[in-house]
Amino acid sequence: MKDSRIGVYICWCGTNIAKMVDVEKIAEDIGRLENVVIARNYKYMCSDPGQDLIIKDIKEHELDRVVVAACSPRIHELTFRKALENAGLNQYLFEMANIREHVSWVHTDREEATKKAADLVRAALKRVSYHEPLDKLSVAINPATLIVGGGVAGMSAAFRLAEAGKKVYLVEKEADLGGQAARLDLSFPYLNTVSSFLQPLIRKVKEHKNIKVFTGQSISEITGYVGNFKTTTGINGKLEDLEFGHIIVATGLSNYDPSPFKNYGYGRLPDVITSIEFEKMLRSGNIKCSDGKPPRHIAIIHCVGSRNENIHEYCSRTCCATALKYANQLRATFPGAGIYDLYADMRAFSKACEELYTKTSTKDVMFLMFDPERSLPEVKQADWKDECNMLIDMHEILSGENVEVPADMVILMTAVEAQKDAKDIAHAAGISMCGNHFYIEKHPKLDPVATTTDGVFIVGTCQGPKDIPESITQAWAAAARVLAGISRGTVTVEVTTAVVNEEICCGCQTCISVCPYTAISFNEEKNVSEVNEVLCKGCGTCGSTCPTGAIRSRHFTDMQILSQIEGMLNEGKVKETHKILEEA
Amino acid sequence: MNNRIDTTLKADLKKFGLQSWNDCFHCGNCTALCPLTEDANLFPRNSIRTMQMGLKDKLMSGVDPWLCYYCGECSDTCPRDANPGEVMMTLRRYLTSLYDWTGLSKKFYTSKVWELGAILLLGGMVVLAFALFFPTINPELTADGGVRINSIMPLQWIEWADWTMGIIVAGLLISNLMRMYYKIAFGAGAVRIPLALYFKEAWQLAFHFSTQWKFSKCDGKRYWLWHWLLMSGYTIMFILIMVFLPWFQTEEIFEVWHPQRLLGYYATFGLLFGLTAVIIGRIRKSNAKFKFSHVSDWLFIVMLFLTVLTGILVHFFRIYGMPMATYYLYVAHLAVLVPMIMIEVPFSKWSHLAYRPFAIYFANLRKAAMKYHEKTEISLATT
Repeated sequence: MKDSRIGVYICWCGTNIAKMVDVEKIAEDIGRLENVVIARNYKYMCSDPGQDLIIKDIKEHELDRVVVAACSPRIHELTFRKALENAGLNQYLFEMANIREHVSWVHTDREEATKKAADLVRAALKRVSYHEPLDKLSVAINPATLIVGGGVAGMSAAFRLAEAGKKVYLVEKEADLGGQAARLDLSFPYLNTVSSFLQPLIRKVKEHKNIKVFTGQSISEITGYVGNFKTTTGINGKLEDLEFGHIIVATGLSNYDPSPFKNYGYGRLPDVITSIEFEKMLRSGNIKCSDGKPPRHIAIIHCVGSRNENIHEYCSRTCCATALKYANQLRATFPGAGIYDLYADMRAFSKACEELYTKTSTKDVMFLMFDPERSLPEVKQADWKDECNMLIDMHEILSGENVEVPADMVILMTAVEAQKDAKDIAHAAGISMCGNHFYIEKHPKLDPVATTTDGVFIVGTCQGPKDIPESITQAWAAAARVLAGISRGTVTVEVTTAVVNEEICCGCQTCISVCPYTAISFNEEKNVSEVNEVLCKGCGTCGSTCPTGAIRSRHFTDMQILSQIEGMLNEGKVKETHKILEEA
Repeated sequence: MNNRIDTTLKADLKKFGLQSWNDCFHCGNCTALCPLTEDANLFPRNSIRTMQMGLKDKLMSGVDPWLCYYCGECSDTCPRDANPGEVMMTLRRYLTSLYDWTGLSKKFYTSKVWELGAILLLGGMVVLAFALFFPTINPELTADGGVRINSIMPLQWIEWADWTMGIIVAGLLISNLMRMYYKIAFGAGAVRIPLALYFKEAWQLAFHFSTQWKFSKCDGKRYWLWHWLLMSGYTIMFILIMVFLPWFQTEEIFEVWHPQRLLGYYATFGLLFGLTAVIIGRIRKSNAKFKFSHVSDWLFIVMLFLTVLTGILVHFFRIYGMPMATYYLYVAHLAVLVPMIMIEVPFSKWSHLAYRPFAIYFANLRKAAMKYHEKTEISLATT
């Protein structure tokens, strides 16, 4: 083991750690161990005085390694690394032991918890001896941006970036811009026409000198990394290479096909239609049954495909308010018709939507509740002698009665779901998907539009069901993030990456097949694998797969990991001086 | 049973006094705090939902609205101001019109023209009848200085007219009650009731009729007292007039403590006290139950009050020997009394005197029958 001068700092985290871990005892015990120059405990290590303590010690005691035992490194590793840098020490000569989330918060026996905390601190101590100084990498950023998807979200982001003077490439799969919003008649909750704001936006985007629109095109492959991405797309068969620094994915949603629900009779009964089909009727201004007559009774059924564990467990979020919108429009068109709203739960939650519900309920709309876990409504053909074409059998929850609902037209509030080709875009842009094929953000609360791939952002309904204002909010948030990146000019990349020892590499390319970030390429000339340090996330998959041991993960070397384990399992060597003291 | 949602029912109910049909969002507060509701009969929320959905058959086969005595607590505490108490009141009016096979009840409840027209017509007929017989009056006073009241028309005739009216009213009410029984016993969710139980539980009818036991469970005991005084006064007076008219309507003036006068005074006091309290309540809207007054509510109180008032005046004018005043007021008394009985008892608000105790009787019969079936099932299962 190498000789090093290590400072160890045990944090109380107020009472968070101190109440369950004897921090003073650990500091004292650790202080006796080999290579430990100084071991302290302090109330809040992350505070400015706490950091100053480390800086002062580094200078005074000429420390060359630091261990902090505190909270999760996800929270404060960067804080302490910065402190090391301020003291003139390379920031990678630092190791953190998590004794809060992994110890004090999850254990109830103080003695055992203290023992476990001491083990973790010793492991960190042992590991840090093998840390090497590493440098960060700086890359210039291309100011152009690729936006995939020309719906409300994509166009909003494009327009913001273009207005800021940045070049935007907007690629839309369909022949026209507009996306899902272009299929809608009115928007909730204020019942404004969607086209009144959508058409001007489309025009502004199309005419903007900084935006280049590619319609009828999809993106199949994107190469490169943050600041320097590349793809190929084109218009009318003419291919064009695009280079850009950021990607905003705004591919939107698709609409669920309710045919699998036999009980609703979609496809079998001509007057059972989906919400999108009804929007088409609304836009044409011609609401009619299949026999050409105006409906006398209209039923709206909620949660078709949503909140159903066999189809989509999630709530599609916009259908309740949309159903309320329909009820209002229907009431205005047919003052005397029976309007029935068959809901499972009324989730009118966006701003002014509860008010829309209250307003709708004064308009002679019959709200009927069903419990999807008990039974779903069943649409059937009515008798010739009935005054309506169809009847819906349902168990109504609020009354506990099995009732029949008359209907000439049934509107199914179908779920929204991820695009069928969501997987392709995800693969091209390096985005992860959840089980429902919606894209996953970097952090659900703290980083809602970024993804785990630097420079790639997700906005609008490709991330999950949402309404128009939410999609635009995300679009502008992502635009702001992109602008921030562009104005920084360069991007600093972590170098805790994999490196290939070309001497040992046998050129089997196993690493290339397992790399989730396509960061490894093969150098035919040298017959070895090469790692792109900007793309590599240092996940270590290649290192553990490499049959010859040619790949080394920086900051996670075999020696570092093994010494960490050793530190955990052994009591550790006590310093000579301490031994003498004890003997005396 | 027809269980089809019918959104037109509420438009119908508006004519019976329904204010808003959609305010209730089914929190169940009303049912939770109602002192009368019980597992077998959950109201008012359930009735409100049935009303909202327009399930007419279910409404008709249930007794819940009749089990509510309208203490008004649900309306006072309803978070949506949906007035559950008033909805129950409306449903009672509506049910009364459904039980009535003549269709007159609906006409009277929903049309002021019909109701006032019928009252005026009947009142006019009474006046006309007396006008035809007016020549028989004898303005001379009796030996003890009273008015010869029975000279206005032979007492025998009045008694016959009395009985005729009684038979018509009873016939209508009983036939309506039979319809109510039929709907409840053979309607939706009916339970087969063993014949013996009808007799076993029959005491309930008399008990609840005479004590208003359920009403006394409501909050605000004074309302029960007012109502009981009014009810007992009315019943005593009704029996005196219908059964003991020759004994009650005498020309001889008895001593004050004579049962004829004591009973009459008690009945008058009960009626007057109860009515005054209700009238003041309705004017001041002092309680939720008095806040909303349908035409039929006012008409009934006002007519009963006028009947009592004219009755009191007839009594004193007779005793103090004022013949013409006595005769005119006697005619006026009957011109109000006859239409009140003929219209209110079989067709309108007064019919609750039969529907309420019967509803309680039937609700209890149902409970007893369910218990009976449960027991027989258990004993069958164990043998």
